[in-house]
Amino acid sequence: MLFWVIAAILTLGASLAVLLPLAGGAKGASSSSDHDLEVYRDQLSELDRDAARGLIQPAEATEARAEIARRILRLDNADTAGKTSAKQASMTARLVATVAVLAVPLVSWGLYSQIGSPDLPSQPLSERLAKNPTDSSVDELVARAEAHLAANPADGRGWEVLAPVYLRMQRFSDAVAAYRNAIRLDGDSAARQAGLGEAIAGAAGGIVSADAQDAFEAALKLDPANAKANFYLAMALAQEGRNKEAVTAWQAMLGTLPPDSPWRGAVEQALAKSGNPEVASGAAAKGPDAGPDAGDVDAASSLSQQDREAMINTMVAGLDEKLRQNPRDPEGWMRLVRSYVVLGKADQARDALGRAIAVFGAGSDEAKKFTAFAASLGLTATE
Amino acid sequence: MTRKQKRLSVIAGGLAFLGAATGLTFYALGQKASYFYMPADLTTASVQPGQRIRLGGLVEKGTIQRGQGATVAFSVTDTHKSIKVTYTGILPDLFREEQGVITEGTFGPDGVFVADSVLAKHDERYMPKEVADGLKAKGVWQESKSE
Amino acid sequence: MVETGHFALVLAFALSLVQMTVPLFGSRLNNQRLMAVGGPVAVTGFALTALSFAALASAYANSDFSVASVWENSHSLQPMIYKITGTWGNHEGSMLLWVLILTFFGALVAAFGSNLPATLRANVLAVQGSIGAAFFLFILATSNPFIRLNPAPIEGRDLNPVLQDLGLAIHPPLLYLGYVGFSICFSFSVAALIEGRIDASWARWVRPWTLVAWMFLTGGIAMGSYWAYYELGWGGFWFWDPVENASFMPWLAGTALLHSAIVMEKRSALKIWTLLLAILTFSLSLLGTFLVRSGVLTSVHAFATDPTRGVFILCILTLFIGGSLALFALRASRLTAGGLFHPISREGALVLNNLFLTTATATVLVGTLYPLALEALTGDKISVGAPFFDLTFGPLMLPLLAIVPFGPLLAWKRGDVFAASQRLMAAFAVALAAMLVAGLFIDGASVFAALGIGLAVWLVAGALTDLAVKSGVGSVAPAVMFRRFAGLPRSVFGTALAHLGLGLTLLGIVATLSFGTEKILSMRAGETVELSGHTLRFVGLYPAQGPNYSEDRGRFELIGADGNAAGEITSAKRFFPVRQMTTTESGIRTLWFSQLYLSLGDENKDGSVVVRLWWKPLVTLIWGGGLVMMAGAAMSLMDRRLRVGAPSRRRKQASAVAPATLP
Repeated sequence: MLFWVIAAILTLGASLAVLLPLAGGAKGASSSSDHDLEVYRDQLSELDRDAARGLIQPAEATEARAEIARRILRLDNADTAGKTSAKQASMTARLVATVAVLAVPLVSWGLYSQIGSPDLPSQPLSERLAKNPTDSSVDELVARAEAHLAANPADGRGWEVLAPVYLRMQRFSDAVAAYRNAIRLDGDSAARQAGLGEAIAGAAGGIVSADAQDAFEAALKLDPANAKANFYLAMALAQEGRNKEAVTAWQAMLGTLPPDSPWRGAVEQALAKSGNPEVASGAAAKGPDAGPDAGDVDAASSLSQQDREAMINTMVAGLDEKLRQNPRDPEGWMRLVRSYVVLGKADQARDALGRAIAVFGAGSDEAKKFTAFAASLGLTATE
Repeated sequence: MTRKQKRLSVIAGGLAFLGAATGLTFYALGQKASYFYMPADLTTASVQPGQRIRLGGLVEKGTIQRGQGATVAFSVTDTHKSIKVTYTGILPDLFREEQGVITEGTFGPDGVFVADSVLAKHDERYMPKEVADGLKAKGVWQESKSE
Repeated sequence: MVETGHFALVLAFALSLVQMTVPLFGSRLNNQRLMAVGGPVAVTGFALTALSFAALASAYANSDFSVASVWENSHSLQPMIYKITGTWGNHEGSMLLWVLILTFFGALVAAFGSNLPATLRANVLAVQGSIGAAFFLFILATSNPFIRLNPAPIEGRDLNPVLQDLGLAIHPPLLYLGYVGFSICFSFSVAALIEGRIDASWARWVRPWTLVAWMFLTGGIAMGSYWAYYELGWGGFWFWDPVENASFMPWLAGTALLHSAIVMEKRSALKIWTLLLAILTFSLSLLGTFLVRSGVLTSVHAFATDPTRGVFILCILTLFIGGSLALFALRASRLTAGGLFHPISREGALVLNNLFLTTATATVLVGTLYPLALEALTGDKISVGAPFFDLTFGPLMLPLLAIVPFGPLLAWKRGDVFAASQRLMAAFAVALAAMLVAGLFIDGASVFAALGIGLAVWLVAGALTDLAVKSGVGSVAPAVMFRRFAGLPRSVFGTALAHLGLGLTLLGIVATLSFGTEKILSMRAGETVELSGHTLRFVGLYPAQGPNYSEDRGRFELIGADGNAAGEITSAKRFFPVRQMTTTESGIRTLWFSQLYLSLGDENKDGSVVVRLWWKPLVTLIWGGGLVMMAGAAMSLMDRRLRVGAPSRRRKQASAVAPATLP
């Protein structure tokens, strides 16, 4: 709506720019020769200045003066241009004026209605990221998490949550960086190292490179039973052409894996293929949670509910942490309370509400706003 | 000299000057312009050793060899034929295997192309125009690859 | 906000249609009211275009990826400065900047043109409006920056990393101010042809506009050259790249125009030639826009390639160049020729300057367009590069530069070469001395290098001689001399500065090309290398993280004469993950006017790194000279002569008696 008001005002302004001069009184215009005369007079005075300063010789100055004088004399002959008959001219002029005044709104609105998108609001990124998390798309959640991590690069948990999401979205090099950050900040763990290895292999198009093997081996050192690491190391053997050793390793895995492990299927699949020389190709090197054709599945839709929740939790935790350090942010508190309510964590929501009220003082305007806001979400302060 | 003669001599001088400039320009175009070839063109076109040309194509996979110091050898191919190129200097940032490249230089007596400049002006959307045209003409490159 | 900008753009197009037609009808019908429409419409059109541009810039600043152009050329992690400069770092945005500047200049004519004859003003605004209309239509039809995406992507595809540099913030706007500034000269010329007469105030208006456009174009070219020098990592400052030529041709023609406009203003001579030159200069600016924007050239600059755009701009080109030249052919004979002069005179020197400059423009034009024409006709692909221009452009420039110092010392109408030569004796002696010193005392100096140095010093000394002679050095008492020096017209300083700047640029070019040294080698951490008396130690490669890139920074220590570190130079390989592109950040250290330039190559398997380094003596003078030339143009603009031309009431009364008092 606001847009149409602005558009109407702009159109009005533009039309007035055409209309006002047409409606104004005709000014008595000075003829072209008046202007010329003025220029020549100025040339004469400049000549005098130059001569006085000794920049030109007196003889030259006299000659130049005479030349300018001749130009001035010629002026009188110039002003004899013919004029069109006044009546016909005024008819045409009126027609031109009418068309011009009408053209501005007609052309602009006509053209804009063809090419414009008047219903599409501006969507600055910061505004989109400030939306309620449950309304956001996966891409937006990732972007939000990235923004959070850009501001708090030392948040190891954040990196750890984001890393598998990257992996799922096939953003392998980002996943590598995220796992490395998580390891750097929160230390080694088998899961992190195995994830790192998977990301490196993914970045290399499925080839389990030496770097990836190092990561998997580090994972096994921490947890010798880590299924992902075992699986990929066997895959590395297969890729090197050591099929027999790979088969042995996979068979050993089948023996130790718990019966409900998701890796069973992947191992059986790999074993089935291992008779086939194609096993070395990168296409087979997919973990079970990637699904048989994860590459074809749209990255966004393949993000599981679990991951989505984990991500939201991280972000909410991040906000909570920020407010602990920086409590005088009423907007932030309201967002935090709402987030907890949306996540179904009523206790934490109440806790947050209590802390918010404590920050601003129980009688303050903010506190009243918080209580009202919480009430609108169906939440009451217990203290 | 009369005024008319003077004016004529000025005009004649101007024309002679323009004529000389035009002559020089076309002489320079004949001598100093370098032609563009794809590797397969070189079987048909005869290029003398020492004649400056531009050679364009794709950097053949697995042929990049770094030798002594800053000298690099690689092959430029249009998939029909490939030509060995050596270059001493820093390769452009966009120089990669299987990407379009234009090299400028001369053939040595041993048939190796010695480039003194290497251009790889493209990103994933853009390939050197001559190379793209040439590859299209040879049926190697499809339009979809440019996207 | 985005759609408001889009609507403002459409509205500005509608107004440009009015501006193109109504004042023209007004001048034909001699109707004051119709003519008066031009001014307010031009100003409002500019305001709307500015609103539109602001809307686009804010979409870029706020990373609004619902705008297709933002999505294609921006990224949320880019630093704010590159988000904003990214507005014109792409085809659509740069064209919007183009029309913004066009309407801005139109608005300036409207605002300050009250002292112009009404018909001339109306016609100028109408021609300006027609250029605007053509480009607005081009933008709306083929390059609309306000095309929206729904749903909006969450992240953009990043600005081309090569363009993520401060150079981009400055280079295109300066260049466009230059290109588009010549549109005013063009409009004045076409307006004069429409009217069939050249007013005396015509030259007074064309000259300052030429100066403004020339000043910005000089700055734009110098900036572009420096940007390419440090950003592309090749250490070259000029490549005779077609896109560089595209900006160089209007500069050459504009320089010729600048000089012929002086003759026209002072002596009313060369009127028709000046008019033609104004048309040609802007035509070359349009050609430059076409060459860059249509993507017909293989060039680092051609980041936008789209055939429909090319055809559209070609139509605009044909319409304006063809139309204005046809009008010229029809009407030029109706214009009266101006004053006469002797071949040896200030005018004569300026004509010679024009002859050289226009011929040089023509050779550059041939060198730029011949490969295109040949490919279109025969399918042969050739490239015309430095060897061609060295052989054609060089020989034209040398005699021109040699005669530059004579020009300002010759009198109008009839000059005395002998007297001028006598005054230049000191300058000549200095130049000769410089030539001998360069030839005899610098190792490896060729005859050509010595001549070049001599020529450059000749230009600098000649410019200083001009100032000295005009303030009466040696012929009057020192007190008088200082008074005269201070009282010299600003335009005299302008001329001297511009010629001095030219000499400095030449000095920089000759010194860099002749005495520069270069080394390519692979280095390991801890190794040192020596180049032209400077010792560098390679400290090592260090990874670092930028906002939207990661980089390997190669650190080098400059070792002073005492063996201690005397400063550090870093060169980096930056990797931009979004576009999967690597760029090289060259490392530069300026020592006085010279530079040590260093560029990092690939890492070898054994851990050593390829390093290319150059010693570039006096290289900064190349661009410093450009700045001095700009200062000269600015100085000339301040001359009071260029500010008058209005018939004020008081003066009008006086004018009745004025002719009687003349001799």
